Amino acid sequence: MTVQDVLSPFTAWKNLFRDPVTVRDPLTERPGAARYRGFHKNDVAECIGCGTCEAICQNAAIDMVPVDGIETKEGDSGLRPQIDYGRCCWCALCVDVCMTGSLTMSNEYTWIDSDPDAFRFVPGVDHKSWDDAELGYHRPDGHRLTPPERIVMREMDPERRIGNFEEIVDGYSVEEARAEAERCVACGLCVATCPAHMSIPDYIATIREGDYEAGLKLLYETNPFSQVCGRVCTHKCETVCAVHHEGDPIAIRWLKRHITDQVDRDRYVDIIGRPAGETGHKVAVVGAGPAGLTAAFDLARMGHAVTVFEARKHAGGMTRYGIPEYRLPYDALDADVDVIRAMGVDIKCDTPIGDKVTMTGLEKDFDTVLVAIGLHLGRSTRIPGSDHPKVAKAVDLLRAITDGETIDVPKTAVVIGGGNVAMDIARSLARLQKQIHGEVGMTVTALEDFSHFLADPEEVKESFEEGIEIFDARGPREVLVDEVGNVTGLKTWKVVSIFDDKGRFAPTYDEGDERIHVGTMVIEAIGQAADVALLGEALTEKLEWNRGRITVDADGRTSEPWLWAAGDCVNGPDVVHAVADGHRVAASMDAVLKAKELS
Amino acid sequence: MKDLTDRLGTLFSLGDITEKRDDLAFVSVAPDLLRAVITHLRDVEGFTHLVLLTAVDWIEGGQFQLTYLVHNRTRARDIGLRVFIDREEATMAGIHDLWPTAATYQRELKEMFGIDFPGSPRIDEEFILEGWTDIPPYRRDFDTKKYAEETYFHRPGRETFDPATHMKDKLYPGEAS
Repeated sequence: MTVQDVLSPFTAWKNLFRDPVTVRDPLTERPGAARYRGFHKNDVAECIGCGTCEAICQNAAIDMVPVDGIETKEGDSGLRPQIDYGRCCWCALCVDVCMTGSLTMSNEYTWIDSDPDAFRFVPGVDHKSWDDAELGYHRPDGHRLTPPERIVMREMDPERRIGNFEEIVDGYSVEEARAEAERCVACGLCVATCPAHMSIPDYIATIREGDYEAGLKLLYETNPFSQVCGRVCTHKCETVCAVHHEGDPIAIRWLKRHITDQVDRDRYVDIIGRPAGETGHKVAVVGAGPAGLTAAFDLARMGHAVTVFEARKHAGGMTRYGIPEYRLPYDALDADVDVIRAMGVDIKCDTPIGDKVTMTGLEKDFDTVLVAIGLHLGRSTRIPGSDHPKVAKAVDLLRAITDGETIDVPKTAVVIGGGNVAMDIARSLARLQKQIHGEVGMTVTALEDFSHFLADPEEVKESFEEGIEIFDARGPREVLVDEVGNVTGLKTWKVVSIFDDKGRFAPTYDEGDERIHVGTMVIEAIGQAADVALLGEALTEKLEWNRGRITVDADGRTSEPWLWAAGDCVNGPDVVHAVADGHRVAASMDAVLKAKELS
Repeated sequence: MKDLTDRLGTLFSLGDITEKRDDLAFVSVAPDLLRAVITHLRDVEGFTHLVLLTAVDWIEGGQFQLTYLVHNRTRARDIGLRVFIDREEATMAGIHDLWPTAATYQRELKEMFGIDFPGSPRIDEEFILEGWTDIPPYRRDFDTKKYAEETYFHRPGRETFDPATHMKDKLYPGEAS
């Protein structure tokens, strides 16, 4: 030990009268930094209860719980995240992944309470002093854990596609589909909106895993028209996709199609599974469209003997005779029909109800009967000149094109209507015009303006690309016929309003804004009706009706105990809705048939 | 920083150079060059302060990235050295003889990533994870959620609802699927 060692502690005394470098206090205010990750805030009106925050939380700190005053509805589970701060590590992954941006963090971190359960609450519902705090962690702009942009679907160019009926959409490659599937957060909000309640997140997961056979099995559990719906479904599911709040919704329809494309068609029946043992019950189905065949598929799988009576040459109903081949190639539809046949369903085509087979006969020969006859009668505008032979119904022309009949293709034609059927006939005729006359001469006139258009936006876009002229907000007034009796065009007036104060259809026009649309043919595509004449007078009298449609209960049962009705003829046009209907009817019929066994 | 990286480039074989700011750059170097480069930076270029030593698990590429950040007090600038080592045999020469504080970082990396620094003081002693039995928790193949579920109990009274199932119960309870 040296002398310095002894003295050096005393040198500290020289600092005795200097100003302290530390801050005096305990501090009273200790604000967190501007981007501090403090207690959570949730804008519950923005939140959709998708539970992605719960799924990503590595500490299992989040529960999704029902909350008073927040309703479960399409696109919103009605659940909201409850956070257990005994487990939260404040990593903010829940904020980073939040699909709507509703979940954020305040910069508040000090809170004392003697009750441990106080630290488990629902942000935004259980009100806290920091609910209005501006500072705190928010997901930075542009920072996303899931890519917001959809993988682009490749399509044939307008120039290449206009001269033929080849399918426009290419379909995803395996890599593209996997990348698109990776964007799905598997929240399952879409399932409730899908009329058939397909297990969407589960089949998308099979794409990520590359297990297409498992995916196919899932698809056919809820939808025997999976190849069809993979191409032409109205995909309402995509409108409620959690990703659409801050990006493009997952391409659910294209992913479904991708699964069906990846599995060899010879493998389908083995993967889907064989039907159950025979029950001895006999079911008749009138109409081989999506509703009738879905019911037939389910009932055959339950072991019932199903016979389907179809008036046309081929099965498929409106999916074959209404939807053009460039949207739904016949081989995809045939493949779905083949699967249904393989389940033992006997489809009798070219067998209309009327002369040889009657409803009375079916009632006698079968235990139960389903009528699923679709909407095959085109409606007429009944404007002057609409009874001219050169004024056609869109459904009739589409059917003729499908059946390969030779039709007199005009150089110029005018379509009345603004729905998908109007686009279908305009685009089909445009292709034939291109083949026969070398150029397109199609005009579409729609009652609705473009902001209220009925046809899908992609149909409108593609129609324009193919050289079809579309005039919106035009009301048809007269089919013009020259002195020798040839159609020369359509006269329209500008539409002022379509509905009256009470919401009834009562269009009003501006007579001063008149146009003549040139065409030697006019096609009406303003809606369809069911051809109910086949029911026969006696049955028509007995059944209950509601505005021209057969009245059915939630299971599709009519007022006659042996008869069910389903599909477009009771619900209006939609493929996947018809599929859902078919399932409901099959379940209901099966229950009735089983009850018969017991009695 | 270009003056510095240029000078370093004449002496050592360098990998990628990233100029982040006027006072911050990152340089990749091979593992066996790290000690030579960092000693040169300390003794010749005035980077006398070791700011931090940390790691990233690039599991897809089968590598760990070590980042050595050093600071020059007089010029007020930082340079980071990036070193990529094999993930399976995660061993690296220590720098605790150059900066004694490095021993603490190295001990942390051993515990959290399983990267060994042979000869580093107390390298095998527990650092913060007492009684840890699983794989090192900062490795990306460590399943944090599974570990949390298995190790910690939930407070009683917790209940969660699956969104899709809840919607089925509320919106279409009777239907199939």
